[in-house]
Amino acid sequence: MAKTILIVDDSASMRQLVAITLRAAGYDLIEACDGVDALAKIRGRKVHLIISDVNMPNMDGITFVTEVKKIPEFKFVPVIMLTTEVQESKKQAGQAAGAKAWVVKPFQPAQMLGAVSKLIMP
Amino acid sequence: MPIRVEQENGQVRLYPEGEMSIYCAAELKDALIAGMQGGAEIEINLSGVSEMDTAGFQLLLLAKREAAKQGKPLRLVAHSPATLDVLDLYNMGSYFGDPVFLTRQGGAA
Amino acid sequence: MSLDQALQTFFAESRELLQQMEEMLLFLESSPEDNEAINAVFRAAHTIKGSAGMFGLDFIVKFTHTVENLLDKVRDGEVRITSDLVAELLQCRDHIEDLVEHAHGGGEELAADKHSRGEQLGTSLLRFFPGALVKSAEKAAPRQVTEAAAKLESSGGGEVASDTWHISLRFGRDVLRQGMDPLSFIRYLATLGEITSLTTLPDALPGAEEMDAESCYLGFEISFRSAADKKTIEDVFEFVRDDCEIHILPPGSKLAEFVALIKSLPEEEALLGEILVASGALTQNELEQGLKNQSQVDAPLGEILVEQHCVPQPVVDAALEKQKQGKDAKSQEARFVRVHADKLDELINLVGELVIAGASANLLARRTKDGAMMEATSVVSGLVEEIRDGALKLRMVEIGETFSRFQRVVRDVSKELGKDIGLEISGADTELDKTVVEKIGDPLMHLVRNSMDHGIEVAELRLQRGKPAKGTLQLNAFHDSGSIVIEVSDDGGGLSRERILRKALERGLIAEGQNLSDSEVFNLIFEPGFSTAEQVTNLSGRGVGMDVVRRNIQALRGTVDIDSEEGVGTTTRIRLPLTLAIIDGFLVGVSASSFVIPLDMVVECIELSEADRRAAAERNYISLRGQVLPYLRLRDLFDVSGTVARRENVVVVQYAGQKVGLVVDELLGEFQTVIKPLGRVFRNLKGIAGSTILGTGEVALILDVQSMIRMVSGKAEKGLVA
Repeated sequence: MAKTILIVDDSASMRQLVAITLRAAGYDLIEACDGVDALAKIRGRKVHLIISDVNMPNMDGITFVTEVKKIPEFKFVPVIMLTTEVQESKKQAGQAAGAKAWVVKPFQPAQMLGAVSKLIMP
Repeated sequence: MPIRVEQENGQVRLYPEGEMSIYCAAELKDALIAGMQGGAEIEINLSGVSEMDTAGFQLLLLAKREAAKQGKPLRLVAHSPATLDVLDLYNMGSYFGDPVFLTRQGGAA
Repeated sequence: MSLDQALQTFFAESRELLQQMEEMLLFLESSPEDNEAINAVFRAAHTIKGSAGMFGLDFIVKFTHTVENLLDKVRDGEVRITSDLVAELLQCRDHIEDLVEHAHGGGEELAADKHSRGEQLGTSLLRFFPGALVKSAEKAAPRQVTEAAAKLESSGGGEVASDTWHISLRFGRDVLRQGMDPLSFIRYLATLGEITSLTTLPDALPGAEEMDAESCYLGFEISFRSAADKKTIEDVFEFVRDDCEIHILPPGSKLAEFVALIKSLPEEEALLGEILVASGALTQNELEQGLKNQSQVDAPLGEILVEQHCVPQPVVDAALEKQKQGKDAKSQEARFVRVHADKLDELINLVGELVIAGASANLLARRTKDGAMMEATSVVSGLVEEIRDGALKLRMVEIGETFSRFQRVVRDVSKELGKDIGLEISGADTELDKTVVEKIGDPLMHLVRNSMDHGIEVAELRLQRGKPAKGTLQLNAFHDSGSIVIEVSDDGGGLSRERILRKALERGLIAEGQNLSDSEVFNLIFEPGFSTAEQVTNLSGRGVGMDVVRRNIQALRGTVDIDSEEGVGTTTRIRLPLTLAIIDGFLVGVSASSFVIPLDMVVECIELSEADRRAAAERNYISLRGQVLPYLRLRDLFDVSGTVARRENVVVVQYAGQKVGLVVDELLGEFQTVIKPLGRVFRNLKGIAGSTILGTGEVALILDVQSMIRMVSGKAEKGLVA
């Protein structure tokens, strides 16, 4: 059974590119445009990995991770945060919220696939 | 996930089922330890384990060690593919020393 | 979903973000402390950069990076918003737009002028950075680069004979809770080469009492054969690097390095030595680091854990507070789906066909006089009607976005003209068809510029006239009986009736002694070749006249007219249909021909009385409850053959305040219809807007009421004047 990945990013093109790359590698994808959207979409589903942007309108990535980790079914889901190099302070806050894996934007699709593969195989 | 426990002639058989993962590890740990009290010989039947992660694997390690402390033999039997995969990757077949596992490693299973 | 589609999404998204960026920057000019706006500007730059990077559009990344850095400083409060900074950022925004468009055009290499423009802006931005912090972001490069060199240096005497890497891993207690499973990393490692041996160290596992089932207690000693470089192997564990003890010894390391490794690990030396007999090597740096870290293996980790449990609460509180603020406005955004416009057009087209097919079924059912059948088709018709409305609504967009684009225009132009002009927007949530919105931008632009240029006076003159020095331009939109009305108003000098008349006479647009109402006089400025501007500036003197504005609007089946009061101001009113695709029609018959009149223009239907019929033969108006109603006989207008019916009816239509009677034979009732545009050959036909196919398969012409009214009122006036 394919592993399911949730990608949360307010940039549709970013989501699509990540989704294209990961689907081709054999993962199932759920796409959401921000934290609120994501929380609604994963309800009742099994998610093996979450990829989330930090800077998003509505509910930012760190709040989202904090919130999602409060839900028993997602308490231990690995999280990859997407960030830019200028956001060291965000990184610390994110780590505290339980997001240990960080991928710096911009990245090549292959880099994202590599990061994902380290955490879960398809 | 509760563990089914069968007792027979001083032997206790434990049947963990479904996921042996971090999501239920704490619960499983208590159930395993409690279940082990029910006999002088312990058998853990892994046929119903559909998924196993490191947290689940550590519970097998713990059971093995607790059994040794209590002087009881512990066997793992009927390994499901998910459990074999983990034992294989961690190269822990010889640690548990169960025949099913060894035959598979030899390629005969 | 293909890569190219994702790229198209990127272009559309960038345009939207740039639009937002502009709005927010303009907003910041008046409210420089607004954090939401600062965040939005930052996010726009950030997102464009991030996505551009994924698509390999490095020239966008490079330039946007500097802008993003500066915006980050603004966010942190290190750099304050000034109007100077806003102006600079607006220019940067424009440059990013240029770059995105360049990428959209398929450009690979950046033209020299664009490149130097970027450099210039980049340099210009530097002055806003606080002190020496300019380069900080560039410095945050990966730590190790030259591992290959280190590897070469380490080869020398005392090597171990192994050709494998040696990897020692002691996982942190918390990794499992963070979703990081050692199994995954080892599986991934196996994809980079061959794991020749792996030993799991369970010794750290405590007794049943103390063991936390969610903690990780495992360590691993791995021999690994691979052609990968050290950085690649290190990076396998990048996500757990901070919490784990990781030692990687390249093939051919010295024995002393192994000894050091053994000493640094928590397990018994004898056990480790046994395991390690097979492998590896160690760099000088690692050796030092290993010894230094030796004492930290357990205790500090515990401290870190405590820290990690403490931090979340304030973070959560702050985040929740922020979430509350942004929720109302933003939660709607999440409910949008982006759909390609072509797909919508296709849907609307199909719905159009469905409407026709439904009408046909309805007619047939009525002919059968089968009650059940008629009921069934009428239910279907009702549903089709709802689907039609729903489908059309899909294409409706708010005009607000078009309006707010003018904030920038007004700001820039008023600076250029040296006038102080503010823009007020109302009715921004008024919806109209997307195709109409797309085409209304240019005419609006022209009207706005015209108002600023010729309408609003310079400050001194305004003060003399007792007006506030700051001029006001208003954009307003509202719905009015099946149309959308867009108004461009200014509180400027207004139009001078005398001057327009003089000019019109000069140009031969009117005849001497012609009796014209104010509105007719003002509308003369839409005639080709008419310009009252005494001073042609570089804005309005662009060669596009008001006649082009009118033509563009007429092409959308719309009208434009002007209200003005000298010294007080001018309002230009554009009236457009809500949609161009489907209309509710009123079907009428003349002999065997059928015509469709747009229903929202029909006021009433009356029978043409015998008296009026007789009187009508002599004059071109009839009396409608004592009022003069000019009329047109469709039979004559379209030269329909056949004998005149015994009874005739008048359909009273109204458009933009004017009423006209259309004389027809039969009233056939309401009819929904899809407008099929006329072929090129018929483009110039007066009075016909399009055609449609009736349920019976016959063609019916859709009347262009607006042009008919013009035809009739012109005739009537001439008649009256003569």
